[in-house]
Amino acid sequence: MSERNCARCILAIQRPSRRWVNRALFVVWFAVLASLAGCAGDKSILDPAGQAARDVRLIWWVMLSFGTVVLIGVTACWLYTFKPRDVVRTPAQERRIARRWIVGGGIILPVASITALLAFGVPAGQRMLPLPLSDPPDVIEVIGHQWWFEVRYPQAQGSDSEGNSVVVTANHLVMPVGEPVDFHVSGADVIHGFWIPRLGGKIDMIPGRVNKIRLEADIPAVFGAQCAELCGVGHANMHLYVEAMPREEFDTWLASRQDEQLNQLATEDAAHDDAREAFLTHCASCHRVAGVSSGTIGPDLSDIGSRATLGAGVIAMEEGAVSHWLKHHQSLKTGNKMPAHDDLETDTLDALGAWLETLTP
Amino acid sequence: MKSVNQEAIEHDPQQLHEELHDIWGNPKGLKALTIVNHTTLGLRFMVTGMVFFLIGGILAMLVRTQLAMPDQDFMSPDIYNQVTTMHGTVMMFLFAIPMLEGLAIYLIPKMIGARDLVCPRLTSLGYFCYLFGGIILTFSLIIEMAPSSGWFMYTPLSSSEYAPGLGSDFWLLGITFVEISAVSAGVELVVSILRTRTQGMALHKMPLFAWYILAMALMIVIGFPPLILASVLLELERAVGMPFFAIAGGGDPILWQHLFWLFGHPEVYIIFLPAAGIVSTLIPVFAGRPIVGYGWVVFAIIVTGFISFGLWVHHMFTVGIPQLAQAFFSAASMLVAVPTAIQVFVWLATLWLGKPKMKLPMLWVMGFLIIFVCGGLTGVMLALVPFNWQVHDTHFVVAHMHYVLVGGMFFPLIAGLYYWLPLFSGRMPSENLGRWGFWLTFLGFNGTFLIMHWTGLLGMPRRVYTYEAGSGWEIYNLLSSVSSFVLSAGIAMVLLDIALHFRFGKPAKHNPWNADTLEWANSMPPSAYNFVSLPNVETRHPLWDDPNLPYTMAEGKHGLAVPVHGRREMWGTDPITGKVREIIHLPGNSWWPLLAAAALAVVCISLLVRVYALAGIFVLIAGVFLLRWSWENGAHPIAAPEAAVAPGDPPLHSRTMDGPGLWAMAVFLLANGSFFLSYLFGWFYLWTVSPEWRMPDTSPLSLPLLVTAGIAIAAGAVVMEKMVRRLRHQCDERLGVGLYLAGALGAVQVVLTGWVLYSANLSPTQTSHDAVLLVGLIYVLFHGGLAVVLTLMQGLRVGYGYVGAHAPFEPAVVAQLWRYNVVTFLVLVGSIAVLPRVVGG
Repeated sequence: MSERNCARCILAIQRPSRRWVNRALFVVWFAVLASLAGCAGDKSILDPAGQAARDVRLIWWVMLSFGTVVLIGVTACWLYTFKPRDVVRTPAQERRIARRWIVGGGIILPVASITALLAFGVPAGQRMLPLPLSDPPDVIEVIGHQWWFEVRYPQAQGSDSEGNSVVVTANHLVMPVGEPVDFHVSGADVIHGFWIPRLGGKIDMIPGRVNKIRLEADIPAVFGAQCAELCGVGHANMHLYVEAMPREEFDTWLASRQDEQLNQLATEDAAHDDAREAFLTHCASCHRVAGVSSGTIGPDLSDIGSRATLGAGVIAMEEGAVSHWLKHHQSLKTGNKMPAHDDLETDTLDALGAWLETLTP
Repeated sequence: MKSVNQEAIEHDPQQLHEELHDIWGNPKGLKALTIVNHTTLGLRFMVTGMVFFLIGGILAMLVRTQLAMPDQDFMSPDIYNQVTTMHGTVMMFLFAIPMLEGLAIYLIPKMIGARDLVCPRLTSLGYFCYLFGGIILTFSLIIEMAPSSGWFMYTPLSSSEYAPGLGSDFWLLGITFVEISAVSAGVELVVSILRTRTQGMALHKMPLFAWYILAMALMIVIGFPPLILASVLLELERAVGMPFFAIAGGGDPILWQHLFWLFGHPEVYIIFLPAAGIVSTLIPVFAGRPIVGYGWVVFAIIVTGFISFGLWVHHMFTVGIPQLAQAFFSAASMLVAVPTAIQVFVWLATLWLGKPKMKLPMLWVMGFLIIFVCGGLTGVMLALVPFNWQVHDTHFVVAHMHYVLVGGMFFPLIAGLYYWLPLFSGRMPSENLGRWGFWLTFLGFNGTFLIMHWTGLLGMPRRVYTYEAGSGWEIYNLLSSVSSFVLSAGIAMVLLDIALHFRFGKPAKHNPWNADTLEWANSMPPSAYNFVSLPNVETRHPLWDDPNLPYTMAEGKHGLAVPVHGRREMWGTDPITGKVREIIHLPGNSWWPLLAAAALAVVCISLLVRVYALAGIFVLIAGVFLLRWSWENGAHPIAAPEAAVAPGDPPLHSRTMDGPGLWAMAVFLLANGSFFLSYLFGWFYLWTVSPEWRMPDTSPLSLPLLVTAGIAIAAGAVVMEKMVRRLRHQCDERLGVGLYLAGALGAVQVVLTGWVLYSANLSPTQTSHDAVLLVGLIYVLFHGGLAVVLTLMQGLRVGYGYVGAHAPFEPAVVAQLWRYNVVTFLVLVGSIAVLPRVVGG
């Protein structure tokens, strides 16, 4: 809201008008302020950081303005009809008036609005379609699991357990800024929803299919994202931390996740031998750490120390966070598929946590 | 045109009333369970619907309590998912549809000048199926085993792998059971509106409400079967492991979504149309003038009905369907705004040209208008694909949906309840408490859901049991939760008002709102038989054009005022012109509907606990009860053994070749056809789209045997047609023999088809291909078997003398089933046995 408008509101409040008018204006003013503050959320559609989302925001404000005018207009007409009045009309006049209302409001108004809306809105969606480009964009694969996101970079120079050329992380998506990126999404078990609100629209992650959506970030920043399709008890606790960074940083980030680096990182420090031993006994069948294990049931942990959150966005990564998570994960994220570790010594869990936190390429 | 039987004019009204009451009156005590009267059952539907509404409302309050603050652990995520799933399910299937059906069941015969619905025992069966199904479904909440995959039950989340408990089974079996009720009410409402309008009431003279209910009933008949099919398939997948929706076996989870929304989108209009019918009924009354643009409204209703079946994909814009399809469904979704806008402006023009009064029901109509227009506008926004991709599955959609459903259904419903309250009880509602109730509801509703649009735009997804502090959603959720409790207080006040009015309301004078339609010609509260005599109505506004009509009707000065024969009678009229064709005689109170519904409930419960032998036994028992029920028709001693009518009156329908049963069978076959088409859709969809579909190189079905079976069933159908043609010419020579012959030919088809199935050696738990074949063959086997049983029963009835040249009606009803069976058998064989051979896998 511009300063002038604010001042006008305040002036209006100061004028000696009726008390309820004052109150109403105050409420409106307060609501506008509060809603502007709300725009700042990291998942807000109304605070776009990419052209696709910006188009949709514009469409929204235009549609809202037009819709408000229609709603107020129709309601005002209805209320007006209750005003007592004495008009005598012939049946022919009545028929003419009725026809005007019905044809004007019932046909011309919606048809014109729909035509305008389609003409104006359909092109906005084109941007999100994975149409062929002369310079093919980077592909990032995202696979929804109950209840975490697997993120794969097939164009990178690493290799996964099956020897495919790929860098794999989980719940932390890094993308280059200022260029389109194609997201190829799928579901591993049930249907999940892929959605980075500040960048653009969502698409379902369906088992057995690959859906594609093209998004672009304008600014290097961190964006919130979370699963959009009900996927079971962990649905509310399935977040994706999205980080857009300049191309060079992104390339460095990818390069530092090549297998040799990750292998070395995981095995170099002899101080963590016990933890590695425990990991092989208790964790390796589900989790992969490059150079140590190759489980694929749970999230890949090769670079876990560098991620911003744990448990798909349930707690922030900080010192001691991993061991805290290992001890309390069933209460932090009810129903998640990792067994509780009540049978393990606290020391073992602490050691595991300390080692995993060093995995920061 | 003069009334057909003038000789009734000189009857003593009091004596007439007593005689009619002896025939139509409701029994007391335990026998009240046998009542088939539409007034009583309509009220039972509505009261039961209100109870489920309260249950659904309490669930909603639990949800809002949980979401009031961030990071709350008032409910565990599992319980929360159960609560949200059941809130949607209860409100949609156990409140909205049955409530509106109840209102229609109560009002339609009264509005069109009939004495009851045309299949009274079916009304009763429908009620008990609804009651038992609803109890089974809500019972799951008590044992904390409720379905938790969301009210649209997307697979694989609802499959046995990801929802191992009984929750999904409760949903699939319970809802299917309840849908028996919806479809049977749909069938009889269609037939009643088309065939039992009073003398002279041509189609273009009937009240708009009847048009709306006709459209709703037809949409139920066509729209519900896809969901019934989907539920059957998913239950088969869960119970036996047939992979219809599981990718690995060649199924596809998206098939569930298509079938669900093939039902789910028409469902929205099934709920909205009757509510709009209430608005179209109330506005002219309170504006004191006829509605302007009757033809426009009828046009809008029909167009809405058609378009609503072409919109389902707009619930699936994010599943990754082709762009062209998205553009088509996007435009179609917006186009449905046109018929809706026509109605809105017809209402506006009617008020504009009338002298409207803001009585309590009109206040609710105004609330409806504002909320519904707002919901319609956000609906057009959602139809725009790029915007849909952003707000789909967020609280924006939750808000939109409640604007459409609460605005489009609940507000008109309350307006209607207040309007017809004097008819239910003979007393007027209070003005004060009612207004308080309205304003609290209106403000509470907007406080809850207007803000929720914003919460969605800020990125809050649907169906999350909690959210973090610092997400920016806290204040809006809190405001929504507080407002939702204001809304609850408003609804409580409305219910209190309605409850108190039965005790304290002022006695209503006759036709208190000065309405124009026939239901106000009833006594208040209405008698079991509605009208002493059935008038000739050739105007859209019978009570405005002839204010004395209620009195002359009560004095027996119109048609069918001769109750000496002891039958429950009303006019059977031409569907278009309303000319009297025959006298329809209705069956009286009966235990069979209750017994059949109880047997079906046992089937439902035994399927739930997986005691399949018991389920099989009770399917047979239910079948026996239903057949025994149909035994009491025609010239049976309990139905109409004597066919004598007053001089000048048309014959009884069972003594003609055309009657309501014929029409009911036709409408039922329409529903059945919708089920069959959904099945074919599933077959072709899996064949062409499913990612891991496997078609065997050679078809396992023996084509020669199928062709022979086809010849047998066609021959049987020809024999049936011949018998019917002879009956039409008053000839029943060798009728019994002909019927037995047709039955035998049908049995040949059943045996051959069974042999094909047996020798095909299908492995339906391995591939979806075999599973689909199995379901298709069982479908034709069941229908073939049904036709055989019904035909043999007709043969028996010929022997008993219940059917013959004197009562030729029933074989024509069964012959329709034969025709249907021939067509479906041919189409099925062509689709699953011939086409794969022609085009290959």
